[in-house]
Amino acid sequence: MADARVVVPAGALVAGLPLVLALTDVHLTGAPAALVVSTATGALAVSALTVQPLLAARLRRLRLHRALGAVALALVLVHVGALFVVSPGDALFAMSPDGPTRARMALMATVALVLVVALGVLRRRLPFGPVTWRILHAYLATLVILLGFGHALITQGALDGAGTVVLVAFGAGALAGVALAELARHRTRA
Amino acid sequence: MTREDAPRHPWLLGLTLGLVTAVVVALLATSSESGTGSEDVGERGPVEATAPIETPAPATGDGRAAPVRNCAVTQSNPGGTNNYIPDAPALESLGSGFVITGLVRSAAGCRPLQGVRIQVWLATQTGGERDNRASVRTGSDGRYRIETARTIPQFGEPNIHVAYDDGRYREVFIRRVVDLDDDRAVVNLTLARDG
Repeated sequence: MADARVVVPAGALVAGLPLVLALTDVHLTGAPAALVVSTATGALAVSALTVQPLLAARLRRLRLHRALGAVALALVLVHVGALFVVSPGDALFAMSPDGPTRARMALMATVALVLVVALGVLRRRLPFGPVTWRILHAYLATLVILLGFGHALITQGALDGAGTVVLVAFGAGALAGVALAELARHRTRA
Repeated sequence: MTREDAPRHPWLLGLTLGLVTAVVVALLATSSESGTGSEDVGERGPVEATAPIETPAPATGDGRAAPVRNCAVTQSNPGGTNNYIPDAPALESLGSGFVITGLVRSAAGCRPLQGVRIQVWLATQTGGERDNRASVRTGSDGRYRIETARTIPQFGEPNIHVAYDDGRYREVFIRRVVDLDDDRAVVNLTLARDG
């Protein structure tokens, strides 16, 4: 078990850095409360998705992994819901076939996130063997990271500049975490 | 991995993941970067933007009248009506630092149209799209110009709306994108008679 003197500050840094960068961006000057909520939940979802694979790689952290998975999904749903409050017309346009690439990435990442959480919740009820389940879960998690972080990277107005560096670093860490989790599970033949 | 751990149908699993990946890549490849029809109309630098310069219809050379030239009608694009509130107040300025300008012409004959009311709305440092709107009329040369504060991203990208909705010509609602460091946007409109 890792030392709490390392885990607590590292956790605070991962949770706080995207949030602080996103909330101090100029595009929130005079913005409605719903846009602040949407920006904050999006930034927190980045943090949650960054640590999820690392938690999965540590066998004793599975309960936390399951809880944070539900939190990540809730954050993403509030992030999208708040955008509907900000401007229903813009939100519907973004999700339509005429919407921009960044919105299409977000839509697909959200579908993958719903599926990866459903896979976790229904694990015992699905007819998959352990290895098949693990491959599906890791594949969907990789899609969530690539499409979700990709969406955040090409979206302007939050997490630009220093935020871009944070997103690339966190995204690379999350992808490395998926590989680590696979190796950990492979060794224990879970 | 032991033999019992192996997936029962590895080919089915591989096929499924391959198909899902192909669908994701296809959906990304077929998407429009900024939304359908939303090309980047922003410009920067010291030179004031210029709308297309009128070229006289070519003479036929045998004394017959030159054929009437027609221009392609500007089409509305998806998202053009987002956050539209009819009858924007008549204002020539919504701040300073960014200019929206363009030439308004008739489709029949390509003539500049004078006194046509153009409505503009966009998110800037002084307000969102529903607060930050104005209407201006074209001058005798068919051009309109409105100055605003600098743009900020709206739903992930700075964009501007330009519309004509006064009934004399067919309505048109335009959504175009710009870059954050652009100084101006050029949106030319070619209007067709209603009906």
